[in-house]
Order: sequence, then C-alpha cells, then structure tokens
Amino acid sequence: MPAKRRSPQWPWQGLLVLILIGLAAGLWFATQRIHYEWRWSRVPQYFLYHDEASQTAPVAGVVLAINPSGADSRIELQPEGGGQPVAVTVETDTLKVKPGDAVAEDQDLGAVRSWKIGPLTWGLWVTIWISFVSGLIGMVIGLITGLCRLSPNPTLRGLAILYIELIRGTPLLVQIFIFYFFIGTVLNLDRTVAGIGALALFVGAYVAEIIRAGIQSIPRGQSEAARSLGMSATETMIYIVLPQAFKRVLPPLAGQFISLIKDSSLVSVIAITDLTKSGREIITSSFATFEIWFTVALLYLVVTSILSQVLFWLERRFARSD
Amino acid sequence: MTPFLDLIDLDVAYPPRRVVSEVSLQMPCAGIGCLLGPSGCGKTTLLRAIAGFEPLQRGSIRLEGVELSRPGWTLPPEQRRIGLMFQDLALFPHLTVADNVGFGLRGWKTRERQARILELLRLVGLDDEARRYPHQLSGGQQQRVALARALAPRPRLLLLDEPFSSLDVTLREDLAREVRGILLREGTGGLLVSHDQFEAFAFADEIGVLHEGRLRQWDSAYHLYHRPADRFVADFIGQGVLLPGWIEAGGRVKTELGELDGAPLSGVAPGDAVEILVRPDDVIHDDASPLRAEVVERAFRGAEFLYTLKLPSGARLLCLAPSHHNHAPGQAIGIRLDIDHRVMFRRETLIA
Repeated sequence: MPAKRRSPQWPWQGLLVLILIGLAAGLWFATQRIHYEWRWSRVPQYFLYHDEASQTAPVAGVVLAINPSGADSRIELQPEGGGQPVAVTVETDTLKVKPGDAVAEDQDLGAVRSWKIGPLTWGLWVTIWISFVSGLIGMVIGLITGLCRLSPNPTLRGLAILYIELIRGTPLLVQIFIFYFFIGTVLNLDRTVAGIGALALFVGAYVAEIIRAGIQSIPRGQSEAARSLGMSATETMIYIVLPQAFKRVLPPLAGQFISLIKDSSLVSVIAITDLTKSGREIITSSFATFEIWFTVALLYLVVTSILSQVLFWLERRFARSD
Repeated sequence: MTPFLDLIDLDVAYPPRRVVSEVSLQMPCAGIGCLLGPSGCGKTTLLRAIAGFEPLQRGSIRLEGVELSRPGWTLPPEQRRIGLMFQDLALFPHLTVADNVGFGLRGWKTRERQARILELLRLVGLDDEARRYPHQLSGGQQQRVALARALAPRPRLLLLDEPFSSLDVTLREDLAREVRGILLREGTGGLLVSHDQFEAFAFADEIGVLHEGRLRQWDSAYHLYHRPADRFVADFIGQGVLLPGWIEAGGRVKTELGELDGAPLSGVAPGDAVEILVRPDDVIHDDASPLRAEVVERAFRGAEFLYTLKLPSGARLLCLAPSHHNHAPGQAIGIRLDIDHRVMFRRETLIA
C-alpha cells in the first residue's frame, strides 16, 4: 500500500494562532469598554515585599554618636536621666537623626528593611499543605474503605458502600459546612482541622472506588497463584495484589489529587486563608480584581501542572519495571 | 491403604446453580489424572474445589488420608500443599524468573532456596533465563517458569488448568509429555483439566469424563475409547457412529451389516432395539466384501483417508482406510466390520 499522503499541518497551526490572537484581542476590547485600568505592578508585592520597620528611641536622650557599619548605622543614645548609653541600629539611608540631636522617647530614628512573604505566597503554601495532608489522610481512608468494599463481610461492605454513596452524592461545599458547623462544633475542632477533615473524607470516597477498581482489575489467577504457593490472604493482598493494583490506578489517582488541589479552594468559605481566600482579601485592599484572580488561577495551574508532571514521571518509571 | 486423592460424593455450587454433582473418584497413588469434558461441564470448578478456592456443598476431599474440605470447612489453599498451574499462567510480572520460582520458598534458608531454584530451572531448561522478567520470555518458556514455580515448594499434588491451551499444537504435545516426565521424576501427583482428549491421552494415566457436572467415567484412555460407560462418553471420546441393531436369540445382534457376536448386554431381551458403537477403525475397507457403501465425504489424513459412508438404509458410517485406497465421493466401496470390543446401548427412541 502506498504511504498515505499527509496533508500539510501549517494552515491549521496558523488558524490556531489566529484564534488565540482573536481571543486576546477580545479580552483587550472587553476591558477597554469598561475602562478597566490594568495595574499588574501591584501584584508582585503580594508575593514578597520589602518591609520597612521603623526603629524608635527606647528612651528620651541625646544622640552621642553614629557609627556606620556596612549599610547599617549604630546610633548611641545617652539617656536623659544618665546611665549606660543605649544603642539602636538602623539602615544608613533611612537615618533621621544627627549626632548631638535630642530625641524624645518613641521618636522615629530610622528604619530596618527586611523581605517579608506576601499573602499570595502564604495562601499558596496553605493550599499546598492542606491539599497534601488531606490527600494523605484521604489515601489511607480510601485504601481501607476500598478493601472493606471488597470484603466478604456484609457489615464492612455495607459501611463502605454507605460512606462512598453519602460522600459522592452530596456537594463538597455542603460537606465542608456540615463538617465545620456541625461536627466541628460538637467535637470543638479548629477550622483548619475541620477543613482538612472534610477534604480528606471527600477524597477518600473517590480513592476507595479507584482502589477497588484497581484491585478488581488484577486477574484472580495472581492471588490464587500466591495462595497456592503458601501465602495467606492478607500477605497476598499486600505483596502481590496491591503493588500491581497501585501501578494501574496511578493515573486515576493523579487525576483525583489534582482535583483535590482545586477543590481545596472551597475551604475558603470557612475562613481558612488559602490561596483563594488570600486573593479575595487582597482584592479588597488593592482593587486589582482582574489581575489578582488571573494570578490566583495561574498559581493553581502551576501547582497542578507540576503535580501532574511528577505523577506522569512516576507512572513511566513504574511502567518500565514490568 | 489410603488412596492418594479421594473425592467422595462432591457437590459444588455457585448458589443457586449446582455446578458439580455427586462426583466421586480415587487416585490410588500419586499418578497423573485428567478431568476431560466440554466447556461448562464443571471440570474447572472441581479443580478449584480441590485447590481450596470453592467450598463444598456436600462430600469430602482427602489427600493422602487428610481431609482438606467438607461442607462448612475448607482448609486454606496455602496450607494444602497443592500446586497450581493456570491457563493464563499468572506469573508475577514484577518478579524475575528466579524470584517467581523461589516465591513459594519463603522461610527456606537462603542457600537451600537458591539450590532449589537452580535445580528447578535446570529441570525445565531455563537456568540461563533466571535474571529475566516473565514478559521477556516466549510462551513456552513462561509455561516452564509457571511449572517450576508450582513445583518448587514440593507440593503433593499439582493441578493444571488447561495450561497448554495457549500454545500451538506441536509445542502443546511436547510440553505435555515433558511436564508428565517431570512430575513423575519429582514424585508429584498431577491432575489436569482439559477439553482436548489428545492432550489428555498424552498426559494422563487415568481420565475422568465430566458432563453437566457429573463424572461419567473414570478410567484409562484405552477403556474410555473401547469400553465407554455411556452414550456421552462414546460420543465424546474418539469418533464413531451408533449403528441401530436388534437383539436376537442367544445374545447375537443383528444389524444392517450382518450379525455380531460378543458378550451380551445385560438386561436386554431378544427383540430389544439397541445401538452399536462403530469406530472408524472397526470398519475395514475390503473390495472383496459383499457389503457395499457409498462414499459421501473423504478427509485426507496423510497415512489414511477418513471416509464418511452411506449405507443403503441411509445410516452413516466412518471408515479409516489406508491412503492408497483413493475413492471419490459417489463411488461404492466394499467394507466389512471387525469389532473387537462390542459396545451397545439400549436405543432410547425407536425408529418407526
């Protein structure tokens, strides 16, 4: 058979570029129409900012001397009532006094600058660790529930099915409210614990179903071979079935954990300052609504992309081993 | 003396369906047996019950006098000292060949374990492949690994569930013979499940024919062929046709092809209608014979032709003739019957 002639790709790629340009232009015109003023320069400070902490005189007195050391200056104060001189260090370019000046107590002498982590970075961190912890707990819950779901014992199986159906049949937002306002109040839980608990229970139900499917996908012969070679049912599950099942469920599990990171934005409704909540707070002070939401979206995208790359790499590594 | 394997009146069910009914059989010593039957006859279920994966509804399974299963109690598979070799092999994909073989030897001393692995890999001719993974081996090699793995912990009995059916025909028979030799050398009993009678003949000393969950006959291949216990076995094993006949005085049987001698069928009276099993090798091509039959079909088998013949009454016969007797369909040829083992069944419906 003659090789099939490939139609050229470039017209379609050109069309793609045109569509993207069109979309960008549409966005630009839309913001033009509402006279939106883009202030991207306001965004970086919410990641990291240079904080100026003003240094005040601890006592009223006279400036004895100012000794520069590097970028800093050491101000020596002679207290009014006598006694040992007191030293205050400020950065030289913020220095507001000269030697011989009389200063009052709490008078501003200068400032010390330092880099501080901004609320966006902080929110991002909260999102990551809340997702990580609830993912980890959810994984354990899911593994146990998945095994119970396959148990021959009707009680365990019934409980597992009930839990999975309850969680999968109700919205996460409602679950978070119930967990926080009801369970959280009854057990006197901290809001962060409540948020993590709700997310872990939520993701656990989905992980349980994924694990169940994974275990069922391993041919029965594998566990029967292990049994006939002297392994107990539990050993067989741990050494033969679960390692193979885990390899197979890695892609759906990855999808579930990526969803979890995005779903974690819902805990902002119970006032946990995650990335979404930080974004909302920043907007109230910066008024850079569009910029902040775009930035927040981009941050979620970065985190989920990194995670999916890591899991993809893991998946290929496992695939190589068999 | 206690028999090696003793199945006593077994019922196995996937409720509410009964899959195996009233099966009893004995293997007196650690020989090699086969459960033969068409698909869906319950042979695999019976094997799984012996392995300990299916509970019994009735009866008892004993191996060397020790009870393994009874209703309500099943010794776990890992404590039975019964090895398994599956149709899909079920090699562990994440372990090397050596680790697969050594899998059942956990708890052995390292040196003994290594020695046993090497011994078995030599036995199956795979000592050069120890470091490879199952997916890097050919089908036949994987089969050998599965055998070595099953034999490593020295099971008393090895159960084989159609393990050769994924191989091509020549390899299948070679491997079946080879596995037989290895089992005999190791002193391990074997029980094969198969739907292929030639595989069963090549592999087993004793064969049980199962049909609809019941054991029809447990016997040697020779007896299954020449002395089938019932119509199903007669039909399932080998080829042949059932030729109508009538009992005459003195136990002789009258058929379209003349009168036949032989041991009388018990419980028949003169005048009863019967059917005689006629194997293709019972029908001799003889040009001198006054009996003629028309060739309907012929199949070339190399050394022989298998002719399908039509008698004047319309009844069909099969005839195995040396292949230098070449006759075209439509020709009439002379035949005579030479039946050593007369097998008769009472005819169930009389032809009007």
